[in-house]
Amino acid sequence: MEFVHFLELLFIVIVLLLVGIPLFGKLKFKKLVEAVDPDNDEYKHLLVRKEETLISIKELECDLDTEKISDTDYQELRKKLEAEANEIIERLDRLEQSRKKTKSTR
Amino acid sequence: MNDIGEFTLLVALATAIYGCVAYVMAVRGNRIDLYLSADKTPLIVWGCVMISSICLWRAFLVNDFSLQYVWAYSNIELDTFYKIASFWGGQKGSLLFWTLLLTTYTVVVHFQNRKKNLRVVPYAMAVLLVIIIFFLFLINFSTNPFERIPLPPEDGRGLNPLLQNYWMVIHPPTLYLGYVGFTVPFAFAVAALISKNLDDGWIRVTRKWTLISWFFLCMGNLFGASWAYVELGWGGYWAWDPVENAAFMPLLIATAFLHSIMIQEKKDMMKVWNMSLILLTFVMTIFGTFITRSGLIQSVHTFDEATLGYYFLAFLFVILFACMALIIVRLPLLKSENQLDSFLSRESSFLFNNLLLLGIAFATFWGTIFPIISEAVRGIKITVGPPFYNQVNVPIGLALLALVGIGPVIAWRRATLSNLKKNFLKPLAAAFITAIALLPVIPLGSRVENYTYIAFILCAFVMTCILLEFYKGTASRMGLHEESMLGALTTVTWRNKRRYGGYIVHIGVVLIFAGIAGSQAYGTHIEKHLKPGETFKIRGYDITYEKLVAVEATSVKTRVIAQLQVERNGSHYWTARPEKEFYKGQNQPVSEVDVLSTWKEDLYMILADFREDESATIKVYVNPMVSWMWTGGWIIAFGTMISMWPDRLEQRRRLERFRREESLFPSPAQE
Repeated sequence: MEFVHFLELLFIVIVLLLVGIPLFGKLKFKKLVEAVDPDNDEYKHLLVRKEETLISIKELECDLDTEKISDTDYQELRKKLEAEANEIIERLDRLEQSRKKTKSTR
Repeated sequence: MNDIGEFTLLVALATAIYGCVAYVMAVRGNRIDLYLSADKTPLIVWGCVMISSICLWRAFLVNDFSLQYVWAYSNIELDTFYKIASFWGGQKGSLLFWTLLLTTYTVVVHFQNRKKNLRVVPYAMAVLLVIIIFFLFLINFSTNPFERIPLPPEDGRGLNPLLQNYWMVIHPPTLYLGYVGFTVPFAFAVAALISKNLDDGWIRVTRKWTLISWFFLCMGNLFGASWAYVELGWGGYWAWDPVENAAFMPLLIATAFLHSIMIQEKKDMMKVWNMSLILLTFVMTIFGTFITRSGLIQSVHTFDEATLGYYFLAFLFVILFACMALIIVRLPLLKSENQLDSFLSRESSFLFNNLLLLGIAFATFWGTIFPIISEAVRGIKITVGPPFYNQVNVPIGLALLALVGIGPVIAWRRATLSNLKKNFLKPLAAAFITAIALLPVIPLGSRVENYTYIAFILCAFVMTCILLEFYKGTASRMGLHEESMLGALTTVTWRNKRRYGGYIVHIGVVLIFAGIAGSQAYGTHIEKHLKPGETFKIRGYDITYEKLVAVEATSVKTRVIAQLQVERNGSHYWTARPEKEFYKGQNQPVSEVDVLSTWKEDLYMILADFREDESATIKVYVNPMVSWMWTGGWIIAFGTMISMWPDRLEQRRRLERFRREESLFPSPAQE
């Protein structure tokens, strides 16, 4: 056998070992992801939305400081954003409560 | 070594196919063993392609002319520097180089995300592998760089002299880094569609990838312009060549995407639009590759053996239709409940900017494909030249320039008209003063001159808007904290990297617009046939042709250099040495221009021709403000760096979010 062919064979064996080993362990019975939990997805989404809304409030303050919006518009938009943030926080709290309840009943 | 290089390409293809199938099966069958098996494939594929690339580089460096590709693009005398760059000098190597970059990006994505969001990441990896499979298929079965010559010649044909320029080492890799980079956000977008995870998660994961790719594509375009300027010897930097257009279109669409994703992040809106934009950006990168390799369009950039067009066209249509179908199927999930708060808001200005960018992209696309369509329909190839592009794109470009200034001044969500009037007062005053000041200085009358006048006025307006933004931010910080002006400016910029990095990029854009306007409208040139000692004038320069010198640079290259003395106001200003280079075995000599670049203008000299009696034809261009463009490019690079710099506050927020989520919904490994 030529050295090049030996190297090629060695190469194939290494590749097969690398991709094959995980298939022959005990991992077969483990799941990659848990079943889709809509609460988890919503929770994740709300955390991001909360963050973005708080950033928006900060930016609104920055816009007021740099005189891009009037005081009246600032008050109105701030109220709106605060209401949005409150609603998100309430929904987050509700999700947390229900999740804790489910955990404790398990 | 060549056998190994060829063999590893086959192994890479087989592994990529397996990896793609295993990733999809792992996520569909919810099997961790398959995922862990697939998880090894990106690294194996990258390793194989890397080994193959090293083998090809080695073949270039040791002058292994048994490879047809090495013979076609190198020779013994070629500088080592160019032997390395010859790798991507032709079709076969450039595809391998593309694949090398793509697999490298894939490995980085793999290490960044392999333990995150396992409902989306396996699909993204599968999409990346599908694209790798396409390229590996082409390399293995259509354009193999390891194709042998039965009786190897002693020397190679050599690299095209036009490509023997330092930009050859910089420009193609930069452009490819941009082109290839957009595969990552595209893959995550498709993965989000398939897995129905249609929040802005995919945008957050790929935001930096998008920015990096945009940066490289932008720099690639500018480097290309710079290369054309110094190498092609026609005094210009952009010719609306189809392949230039092919690199310009994805840049425009990606710029639109970069702006519109901010709206999705802020307001959870425009999901369909953003999906469509990233799809279009990726499709345009494939379209660019199709144009270069189809043989349908003649250009200095196209490859000799243009046989791959049909493969790329088929791939392009498959991607386009598959993604469109995915978007249509997922439309109900992509709908947003939120709406714009006001028509007068930064969001609206971003929408307008998107429309204008797409307008320029569409006009450019139409101009690029029109010759193909006209030939197919009427049998006549109609060339679309710069007049078409300038007529359509210049007015849209000017509107876009105005928006670069207007956007940052308008508040997010809702702007107040009275405040807008107040905020625009100073920029408008700056524009007015510029208009008055320029009136007696610059000529007006022709369409180009009028557009240029408007462009300068808009540049003043936009620059004032941006500088005022910096000033206001700094003043506000100084009011709240006891900081020096420089300290406050640095803190404000550093704490709002995305915003102020973006403003710096906009400053670069303004300089590019000013450079283009100045050089297009007020450039002049002259062509003279001179004998040694003869003098001529151009725009205040007295140019004397002194002599012609021939130099044997290497055994394959002879340089013929013309020496000219340039005087200004009676005193010596510059010694110019434009030249012609003659390469052994090449019919056409290559012009090497000599340029003296200043902030005001470039003095650009070409040795067009010469005779045995030492007389020479000299072409001289005076191109105003060209260096503004290159400076603008560096400013864009600086601004992008600031925008991309890791934000500690953002990292802290992400970590906090992750902790909170984990405490309530622990991942399977923790339970």
